[in-house]
Order: sequence, then C-alpha cells, then structure tokens
Amino acid sequence: MTAPRTLMRGRSELGVAALLGVLALVVAVDAAGIRHTAVNAGVMGPQVVPTVISAGLGACALALTVNVLRGGHGHPEEGEDIDLTTGAHWPTLLGLAGLILAAALTMDALGFVITSGLLFYGSTLLLGSRHYVWGLLIGAALAVATFYGFVLGLGIPLPAGLLTGIL
Amino acid sequence: MDNLTLLMEGFANALTLQNLLFALIGVLLGTAVGVLPGIGPAMTVALLLPLTYALDVTGSLIMFAGIYYGGMYGGSTTSILLNTPGESSSVVTALEGNKMAKAGRGAQALATAAIGSFVAGTIATAALVFVAPFIVSIAISLGAPSYFAMMMFAFIAVSTVLGTSRIRGLSSLFIGLAIGLVGMDATTGQPRMTFGQPLLAGGIDVVVIAVALFAVGEALWIAAHLRHGKPATIPVGVPWMGKDDWKRSWKPWLRGTAIGFPFGAIPAGGAEIPTFLSYVVEKKLSRHPEEFGKGAIEGVAGPEAANNASAAGTLVPLLTLGLPTTATAAVMIAAFNQYGIHPGPLLFKTEPVLVWTLIASLFIGNTLLLALNLPLAPFWAKLLRIPRPYLYAGILFFAVLGAYAAGLQALNIVILLLIGALGYVARRYGFPVLPIIVGAILGPEMERQLRRSLQISAGDPAALVGEPLAVVMYSAIVIFLVVPPLVRLVRRRWVRRPDVPAGEETKPENADTPDSLVR
Repeated sequence: MTAPRTLMRGRSELGVAALLGVLALVVAVDAAGIRHTAVNAGVMGPQVVPTVISAGLGACALALTVNVLRGGHGHPEEGEDIDLTTGAHWPTLLGLAGLILAAALTMDALGFVITSGLLFYGSTLLLGSRHYVWGLLIGAALAVATFYGFVLGLGIPLPAGLLTGIL
Repeated sequence: MDNLTLLMEGFANALTLQNLLFALIGVLLGTAVGVLPGIGPAMTVALLLPLTYALDVTGSLIMFAGIYYGGMYGGSTTSILLNTPGESSSVVTALEGNKMAKAGRGAQALATAAIGSFVAGTIATAALVFVAPFIVSIAISLGAPSYFAMMMFAFIAVSTVLGTSRIRGLSSLFIGLAIGLVGMDATTGQPRMTFGQPLLAGGIDVVVIAVALFAVGEALWIAAHLRHGKPATIPVGVPWMGKDDWKRSWKPWLRGTAIGFPFGAIPAGGAEIPTFLSYVVEKKLSRHPEEFGKGAIEGVAGPEAANNASAAGTLVPLLTLGLPTTATAAVMIAAFNQYGIHPGPLLFKTEPVLVWTLIASLFIGNTLLLALNLPLAPFWAKLLRIPRPYLYAGILFFAVLGAYAAGLQALNIVILLLIGALGYVARRYGFPVLPIIVGAILGPEMERQLRRSLQISAGDPAALVGEPLAVVMYSAIVIFLVVPPLVRLVRRRWVRRPDVPAGEETKPENADTPDSLVR
C-alpha cells in the first residue's frame, strides 16, 4: 500500500513532465485548429512548426518522466539569499503571486499609484518586514515618483485611476 | 567606407552632450542595479528595459551599452564582497575574489576586477570593430538555409552545451519555442496559440517574457527560500593596487581577454566556459599556486577579464547575425526589437550610423565605468546592505511596472505572473532559463527562415543543406549531440578497470550528474 507513495517521494518533478505533456497537447490542438486557407501559405503552412514543437514537447515529457523515474533530478538554483535547507515557504510564495494577480485586476480601476504602492507594501510584509509605517511610506513615495517619472519624464500615460485630478 | 572612418563618425555621434549623458545614466543605473544582491546582469537589463519605451533609438541603445557593461561590473562587485554570484559567469570571480575580501584585500580585488574589465572590454571591443564587418561581409551573402542552420545550432548549443542536463535544457527550449508561437503567423496572418484573445494577436511582448523569467521568477524563488538574518557584507575602501598587484595582474588580464573574446564570439558562447578556463590557466601559470583557493589576485584578474571580453564577443553574433547566446544578450535583442530593429548583417548596411554609434558608446561606457567605479566603490558596497524585503518587493514593483508599461495592458501583468511562475519552476527543478528566452525570441525568426528556404526551393527539403555553412552547422550539431554520450561511454569503459571497486560502475550513470558534461 505504501509502495506507490515511496515511489513518488521526491519525484515532484514528474509534475513538470506532466506540465510539458499538457503544453504539448495544447500546442497540438491549437495547431490542428488552424484553418487551411492555402491562399498565400506557400509550400509550408502555419501549422507545420507548431506540430513539430508539440512533438518535441511530448518527447521531452516522456524523456523527463523516464529520467526522473530512474532517479535523475535537477539542482535547485542556489544564491546568497537562498536557504535551501528548508522547503519552500508556500504562504509567502502564494501571497506574492496573489498580490501580482490583484495588481493586474485593479491596475486600471484604482490606478498605478495605489495598486503599485500596495503591491510594494504587501510584498515587504510578506517577505518578513516589520516596519509597518516605513514600508507604506516607501511604497507610496516609490509609486508617486515612478508615476511622475513615467508620465512627465518618459511620456508614458500610466493610469491615475481613483487619484485622477489629484495627481 | 573604411571601418575606422565609420567608427570615428560613431564617436562623433556618441560624444554629443546628450548622448554622453545617456551613457552616464546607463553606466550608473546599470552598476547600481547590478550591485544589488540577487540581481544579475540579465535581470538588470530586463528591469531597465521600460526606459527604452520613450527614448529615441540612438539614445536608448547608448544607454543600454552602459547598462550592459555597468550591470556586469556591478555583478562582479557583488560576488567579490558578498560571495553571491548574480550570474553563472561570475561564479569563478567569487572563488578568489571573496577570499581576498575576507583577507582584507577587497580593495585590491575590486581594483583588479575594475581595471581588468576595462582593459578586456576595450581590447575586445576593438576586436569587435575588426571582426564584425568581416563577418557581415560573409553573412550578407548567406541565404535562408544558412540562417536556419545557425539558429538550430544556437538552439542546440544553449540547451545542451551549457548547463548540466540535456533533457532539461531541451525541455526549456521547447517551452520557449511554444511561447514564441503565440500571436499571428507572420506569413499567413493566422492566429496561433491566442485562444481567441485579440490582445494576444501581436504575440507576447519580449519585455514581458524577459522580466517575468529573470525578475519575477528569481524574486519568487528567493522569496520562497529567503534566508532570514543579516548576510555578512565586507566593508571596503576605495579600490587601489600596489606595484606587486599590478605585476601579477596585467598578464592574466591579457590572457583572460584572449580566452574570453573568441568564446563569446562563436554562437555557442556564454561566459561560463572561458571564465573557468581562464581560472585554470592562471592557476597553472601562477608563481603562487599555493595562494589559489585562499585569495590569489590572478584568479580574479583573469576570469574577470575573460568575462568582460566574452561579453564584448557576444556582441559579434548578436549584431552581425542576430543570434543571442547569453541571457543578457537575449534581453538586449528585446531592446532592439522594441524599435523594430532586427540585428543581422543588413543592420550594418541599413543603419550604419546606429551600429557604429553603439560600438563607439561601448568604448565610452567602458571608460566611464572605470572613472566612476573606482571612487564610488564604497558607496556601491553600501547598497549590499539594503534590507531584503525592500529589495525583493522593489524587484516585483518594477517588474509589474515594466510589464504594464509595455502596452498599458493589465493582461500583461497576468502573463507576467504565469511566465514568472514558469521561471520559479525552472529554478526549483534546475531547468536552465536561457533556452526558454532564446527559444521565445529566435523561434519566430527560425520559422521565417525555414519557410523562406522552402519557398525558394519550391518545397524541396534538400535546399536546407544546399549551402556549405548549413552543412558545417548541422555537422557541429551532430558532434554536440553525439560526442558527450560517447565520451561518457568511453569513460564508463575506462572506469570498469579492475582497480575500481566493483559495484561503482554498475550504477546507471545519469545524464544529469553535473560532471557528465562541460565540467
């Protein structure tokens, strides 16, 4: 009963192989759905290269599965700020991903300054900062400064959102 | 026209007050961001890409020349003072450099790195001036089959030669190629991989891909494993070198340059191999081999010079053939593409002023770096103490800004997150990131050349090997793919000698042991 579990332990990389497989399918289905207009397709239509890439992805998925099952594994990237002795800290990771997603959803409505300022502030808290006031102030200053830098300096119209008229 | 005349014209262009200012800003920004721990040269260039949205072509390319060299210089400062190589190419610098800093010789380590980078950068850029037009003169006569073959070669090289696992390298490459598919097919205008989303018809902006892979992926990876507590940094004064240090440095600088440039210039490049090679050479030739591992100045001087020379060498395939071979070069291509400029032999014909101004500004940036960074080093060292929550929050802030500014689409931020998650997974499982970005950038170009080749030959696939260079490239690919397994096989035979304990050799040797390839 425990045999499959032991077999799977430390083999989370099989998930990457699965990801490759899914991607292969997506590309293949998309390639199959390309309409054959043949008007100016020339000798080689737009579906050939995607099909080849899909096949390559599929082959990689299979090879990686075999490799992982035979005990192969990649080496996690190291660095001075990285502590690999413990596992990934999922609350931080998911929290940051959530913040980025929230930024995507609120950017146009709330405007660049509020969204990015909060993104910065929230990130510092998730990353373990306990300077509650400083983090907020730095985030606000950074957001306002980049806003003016981009709008006035570079001429890129970042959205002002809720603060339209104030900024 | 004579190359030198063109170069002089380039200098005349680059030396205007405005352009000098761009070079200065580029060098300062590049160094400042590059010094920050956890930010390598590729991330530096990726994070600063949004600045190119509004500047004119010449100005922004001049700035990028400064960021390119500045980012690398900043990276070596970090590896010396913090033992945290931002990019694989500065791993070797950290070996001796950090030991020197710990022994109180940080000032000398920084000095030999700075002056060595200047010497190597200047010589290698001069070599670029002479080599590039020569390659252009050959490349201009090459047809689509040769380009297609060169791209295949670059693909195989970045995914199988560098890094430790070929399966993982190739997986990365195919993921990159799949990302590159997104958008309208250039030949027929049919949407591919757009999932009915009109915003995706133009493809995914390369800036978004670069920032996602290098900034978001890295920040998320570090955030998940953040080491708490203050990392030890080494305070340092203004860099200087004594007479003895000069004596021990100048030969390694020149040798490092000689090793680095050719390795950078062949489209299988990367700075990993030449820096490592230079380290080994210096260790062999040194009169103080016993100092190696304890902080030998030759071990900083040689690899740093090799690193910079190969960075200049990388510009040869980048500018003349449009082939990026390092992560930083891949991001530089994104900067070019922002203006609809596609590097390649035609660039020298159609935009000579631009190309030669860029090359001239490489010389200028290099000189500015030396002049600025020697006195500013203590200030840069202070940047190393930036609290980590602010640092990584800042990276995410600028990454989101960069992605959003690339078209003012909130959808770009979602794509940023998705590809950033991909970058996280790549780091977690040791999949190289370089093939992803190279595949995404070169993939569409590869397809264009392939289809053009077949168009001309009316569908006859024999045309693909109809040019001599193509044949050479395919032979090289076969060698790359066949020789390493062969070497492993021979080595396994060799190991199966009786003096090796039985059982050792029966272990199925995995393609993924680090020493099975380059090392």
